[in-house]
Amino acid sequence: MSSHNPDHLHPRPKLQARKSSPRSKNMVMASHGRAPWYGPDGKNVEAYVVGIAGGSASGKTSVARAILSALNYVPTVLILSQDSFYCAHTDEEIEMAFNNDLDLDHPNSIDTPLFVKCLLDLKQGKATEIPVYSFVHHQRMPEKKYIYGASVIIVEGIMALQSPELRALYDLKVFVNCDSDLMLARRIKRDTKERGRDVDGILDQYLRFVKSSYDNFVQPSSRYADIIVPGSSNQLAIELLVTHVKRQLDTRSLRFRRMLAEEGGEQSKAQARSRASTLVNENNERNVVLLEQTNQLLGIMTILRDQSTDRGEFIFHADRLSTIVVEKALTLIPCETKTVRTPLGIDYEGSATDDRLVGISILRSGGPFSHGLRRVIRDVPIGAMLIQSDPKTGEPLLLKTDLPSSVKTRETSGEVKILLLDSQMGTGAAALMAIRVLLDHGIQSTNIIFLTYLITQPAIHSVHRAFPEVKIVTASIDPELSEMHLSYDTNSLVLGETSGEADFAVRTIEESSTQERLDNLDLNQEGQEEIPDNRDGLKTEKELSADKFKVRVNETDRLKFSREHKRNQSGEKRVWVISPGMGHIGDRYYSS
Amino acid sequence: MSSPNPTTTCLPASGSNVHKVELPENALVLAPTRQLQSLLTIIRDEKTQRGDFVFTSDRIIRLLVEEGLNHLPVVSKKVITPTGKEYEGVAFQGRICGVSIMRAGEAMEAGLRDCCRSVRIGKDEETTQAKLFYAKLPDDISKRFVLLLDPMLATGGSCIKAIEVLLEHGVEEEKILFLNLIASPEGIQKVCTRFPKLRIITAWVDEGLDSNSYIVPGLGDFGDR
Repeated sequence: MSSHNPDHLHPRPKLQARKSSPRSKNMVMASHGRAPWYGPDGKNVEAYVVGIAGGSASGKTSVARAILSALNYVPTVLILSQDSFYCAHTDEEIEMAFNNDLDLDHPNSIDTPLFVKCLLDLKQGKATEIPVYSFVHHQRMPEKKYIYGASVIIVEGIMALQSPELRALYDLKVFVNCDSDLMLARRIKRDTKERGRDVDGILDQYLRFVKSSYDNFVQPSSRYADIIVPGSSNQLAIELLVTHVKRQLDTRSLRFRRMLAEEGGEQSKAQARSRASTLVNENNERNVVLLEQTNQLLGIMTILRDQSTDRGEFIFHADRLSTIVVEKALTLIPCETKTVRTPLGIDYEGSATDDRLVGISILRSGGPFSHGLRRVIRDVPIGAMLIQSDPKTGEPLLLKTDLPSSVKTRETSGEVKILLLDSQMGTGAAALMAIRVLLDHGIQSTNIIFLTYLITQPAIHSVHRAFPEVKIVTASIDPELSEMHLSYDTNSLVLGETSGEADFAVRTIEESSTQERLDNLDLNQEGQEEIPDNRDGLKTEKELSADKFKVRVNETDRLKFSREHKRNQSGEKRVWVISPGMGHIGDRYYSS
Repeated sequence: MSSPNPTTTCLPASGSNVHKVELPENALVLAPTRQLQSLLTIIRDEKTQRGDFVFTSDRIIRLLVEEGLNHLPVVSKKVITPTGKEYEGVAFQGRICGVSIMRAGEAMEAGLRDCCRSVRIGKDEETTQAKLFYAKLPDDISKRFVLLLDPMLATGGSCIKAIEVLLEHGVEEEKILFLNLIASPEGIQKVCTRFPKLRIITAWVDEGLDSNSYIVPGLGDFGDR
């Protein structure tokens, strides 16, 4: 997005591919969803940062765009332009700017501390707000632009390699070297055409500021670069560059849901052996609050778990249960003392709850909770995160976040208390992702309470390991995840993922070895013949397996990069299901 | 929900404290969490607007109803979950009927409906002299559990009158649950002594009554608000 493009004064949804206008410099490119950007320990893997410097009109932006388009499989790539970080100006300076007397090519014109802070936040995977600079008003605008969730950040600007603090943040430093004549020619062409300036003015500015700045600051900074790329006819250089970036990114790829399920499974088996009482104690230590298992609660759970329960009944009791869970969660939130006067004129020393509560539901299985939440807290701001699992890898994907403003703004997010809502938690993978998103926004982990109907022991384990301070309130704890073989076209009530839905009840786990896959295929051959898979057309079982094998052996590298090459071999997949569970809550609530 | 193991945030209530008062066995008080106290603070505050008052009292009523429903019997029941597994659960047994003592008790009906589907609701009318004006009760009330609703229990006069009416209609005493927001110790004593088999569930027990038989510190006239 261009900082001088008035359109972008209104922030737009972030995780969306954007088409940039010809002059836009900051841009975000996003693919279908964002895979985990953190390890099983819940810690962020840093974003990969490329710094691109070079003279004005040397072709920095086109190099940045070339990298961007070559990384089209990376969930979010952000181009961050130095233009956004011009200092706020005094009235005098603004007047000078309108007379073309303001030197914007000097390193001092950049607000380096803010630049460093924003870039550091982004590199660490945190949400940040970058300033907006308007070339129309020659001034920093009062609003800020919210940015979150880039796995690759490309910083471009003439002074990008100038400050040592910025240089320390780059994983790769690039300088675009271009002939001065060519740069001037491009500059005249661009400024007359796009900015409506006359040639005299451009030349005057060039001689007074641009040229000296280039010679004194920009050109000398090229010695810090790892790679110097020519400003024209540079296809080969860009190719080399992109290959390097890809290799670097590959070492950071994360696939761990299987690990979560398996580790958690072992843990739960171990716990099953230990007595029930120790289990309760452990859960207490782990900040898990299980609702008192009263007759009514058991009755509600029975109705919700029963597959023959009709939808009306299901909704009624799901709402009732979420009300109880929310009430319980609120008892965990501290209160302050408050004295009020009753209508009888008597002072009463009571208490008041913190009102900085925000509900965040993980869509769409967290949706049923929001009704219960609204019953309990009036006018509570409710945000949402859409997390689905990638049907090909089984990893959770963050597709969209819609967070209330108090969460987005760093000044307030430290104090906000979050009720994170999802109706069930199987492996805990999506919960980890949601919690990570909140922490990236500066929410304190002690201020997060996770509310759910149903959780498994493995999920408690994986959430606790990564985020021990997050509290969990649940109506029921199911002992385990059980592995099920499901076909795509049947059991759709259970298998929400047929519609791309990520419910915690059902999680695909990526098969690790080819051998294992073949075994599975053999076992389920009959089922597959009945359910032809449109993905693989008319291929026979053996051809299919052979294809897979070839892909695995010959194209290992490409496989790692391109999800498209990882096809689903059959109409059957292995999933982890909460057992006994209550099926697919989102589907049952919203009726699909 | 009252809990036998109160969480760490269940601090002793300030101001009026239920623990000061000896309660009869058949009277049950919700766990005095800070959260519950916050809710009561809102409804006690004379500055609270009607919308907030209704919303907040509904929340307390739901807690009361949930607690009350816990005293109903259940039978074990096996169901098959959508994942094909068996689950050993329970099913509710016995039908219930809500009876509100007019007119403040009617305010509690919404909360009851949030927790029970298609509950039958009857009416009972009262005055300060606890004279029965009006009773409209379901025909089969004698076969049901009765949740008797009245937000304030002061002297207990109207409550006793209402219970007498229910008993006249053939309801068994042990099948009556009296749900109440704020009670006076005197009122509880009186009702519980008179009907030892009935159960009272109240959210809070206040300090006592003033000379006009209002609950202190109380919250004023519930129905008016």
